[in-house]
Amino acid sequence: MADLKVLLVDDEQEFLEPMAARLTRRSISCTTAQSGEEALRLLSQESFDCAVVDVRMPSMDGLELLRKIRKSFSNLPVVLLTGHASVELGIQGMELGAFEYLMKPVELDELLDAIRRAAQESALIPDFQRA
Amino acid sequence: MLLVLLCFGLVPLVLMGIAGFIANREAIQTRMRNVLEAMVKNRQATIELFLAEKMRQLEFAAFSHSVAQLSNPEVLEALRTEMQRNRGAIVDLGLIDEGGVQIAYAGPYKLQNLNYSQESWFQKVMVLGAYESDIFLGKRHLPHMIMAIRNRENGKDWILRATIDTDILSALVREGGLESGADVFILNRAGEYQTSYSDEHRLMEKADAAPIPLHSGVRVLEVERKGRREFLATGWLRGDSWVLVARQRAPELSALLPGHPAVVWIFLIGLVFIPTLSYFIARHRLSQFRSLENERAALYESVAQSQKMAAIGRLAAGVAHEINNPLAIIQAQVGVLSDLVGGVSDFPHADEFRDRISKIEAQVDRGRKVTHRLLGFSRRVGPELEPVDVIAALEETIGFVEKDLEASRIRVVRDYAQDIPIIRSSLAQMQQVFLNLINNALDVIEEGGELRLSAENSDGGVTVRVADNGPGISEKDLDKIFEPFYSTKSGDGKHTGLGLPICQEIMRNLKGRIGVDSTAGQGTVFSLWFPLEVQA
Repeated sequence: MADLKVLLVDDEQEFLEPMAARLTRRSISCTTAQSGEEALRLLSQESFDCAVVDVRMPSMDGLELLRKIRKSFSNLPVVLLTGHASVELGIQGMELGAFEYLMKPVELDELLDAIRRAAQESALIPDFQRA
Repeated sequence: MLLVLLCFGLVPLVLMGIAGFIANREAIQTRMRNVLEAMVKNRQATIELFLAEKMRQLEFAAFSHSVAQLSNPEVLEALRTEMQRNRGAIVDLGLIDEGGVQIAYAGPYKLQNLNYSQESWFQKVMVLGAYESDIFLGKRHLPHMIMAIRNRENGKDWILRATIDTDILSALVREGGLESGADVFILNRAGEYQTSYSDEHRLMEKADAAPIPLHSGVRVLEVERKGRREFLATGWLRGDSWVLVARQRAPELSALLPGHPAVVWIFLIGLVFIPTLSYFIARHRLSQFRSLENERAALYESVAQSQKMAAIGRLAAGVAHEINNPLAIIQAQVGVLSDLVGGVSDFPHADEFRDRISKIEAQVDRGRKVTHRLLGFSRRVGPELEPVDVIAALEETIGFVEKDLEASRIRVVRDYAQDIPIIRSSLAQMQQVFLNLINNALDVIEEGGELRLSAENSDGGVTVRVADNGPGISEKDLDKIFEPFYSTKSGDGKHTGLGLPICQEIMRNLKGRIGVDSTAGQGTVFSLWFPLEVQA
């Protein structure tokens, strides 16, 4: 299986670092960003197969980032992660176009599965539709 | 309350009674006054008429006869008889010369030749020409009244005198009958009786009456005599010589009560009826108030509980969220450690290392379960209503814990009714409740014990019961088990004390009910009622 390129977005470096380490061991190349702004910058520089985004972040929260990604990088699937599960947020996230909505602490296998399914789906989108 | 009603009911009745009493008293007293007034007027007229008539008869006798004629006792006697004809009353007739000597006399007494020149009446009549006296004793030493006329013949004065029988006055005054309690008499200006009546009124005795002032017409007064109130009607006769008095005691209280029995009965019935009715109305109202008050209190309680739960929900959500992040980090880090050792087993304590890593992961998982439960607690019912087969849901939940049941050799006894309908509700939330109750039961049922499940139609919904034959819950705990963080189980961290409050909250969201029954030593039954359809 080819390397999947994933962008991890979370305000906590403490979370990003071990998470990235684990994913990397599983043939997923990770890039990390600690804010929505940084994420958008990175997204404009390179392409990714999937973004994993924490919902609660200080300056730009996950949903806001999601909106922007849907606008500017419409074929990038986004998996939302949250420590605060509320049905409303979940529904909102899905309505805004998230691919999946997972709760922290998330089982690694569950996350891997979501990432792989997301990547597969976006791969099905024909080339001419990519931004 | 009773007092108020009683006042409202009785006060008008009593006021009416008093008004009636007063009106009645007024009526009776007015009547009495009128009667007395009429009586006095009436008798006043009668007596005046009588005396006037006698005087005219005397005048006629005097002016139509000569002295010579009148000196004849037979003539006098004949005249006397004539005057007696109408109502009698003439005791005697006498001819008296200007010297005061009675020259002729017709009558029963031996008064012939008596000299009256010193008597004041004689002097008066000589001056005035006509005279009527009060009652006096005179020369016969008996109470009597006289009329005298003076005439002149041949330059000489002479007097014709008639004595009036006083009994006639007494008779006239009482003529026509008297009401009981009434008294009529005549007094002179000195207040002496001019009429007699048995032993009460004796001629010429001073009457027991206050001096009566001169007045015109008939006057009716209310006075007090001997401590009793009485009505006094007076009318002056013969100018200012005599006063006719009619008096009657004012009616006593008992006489003033409404005479008509119907009124009395109505009053009494009212007196009994109103308090009784008031009592019952008051009691009814009070019990209504009480039950309304209870309802209100229950409602208030319910709202307070809801608010408390909502607050706890928010708190729980906040806490859970804050804990989930560190848990996620711990998990990630431990995950890396686990990845690092991977399948490598040739370093010291490799097995112990892996073992301990997996223990950490287990604890993280345990923490996650707690936070997820807490967050489940703060969830609201989404619009995720779907058709749910209650029995299927229950059975599926049993499936989740099958291993635990087997491990403890717990028997599951089922009692499902045949016709349980499909209801509209939330499957996930329903199963959350089932799972919670079943887990609680499993915690208390001993090895080889029994878990009983039942489902039946009831009250427009479905009732599901989860029963165990564990030690039961004591009465004092029974009140508290739905309180958040209350737990009868040991503080091993496995039990948050939130299971049942969450169930209660879910049942409330699903518009259902949860209840518990327990007998210490015998077991506990939780009852759940789901409506056929969750209506907002």
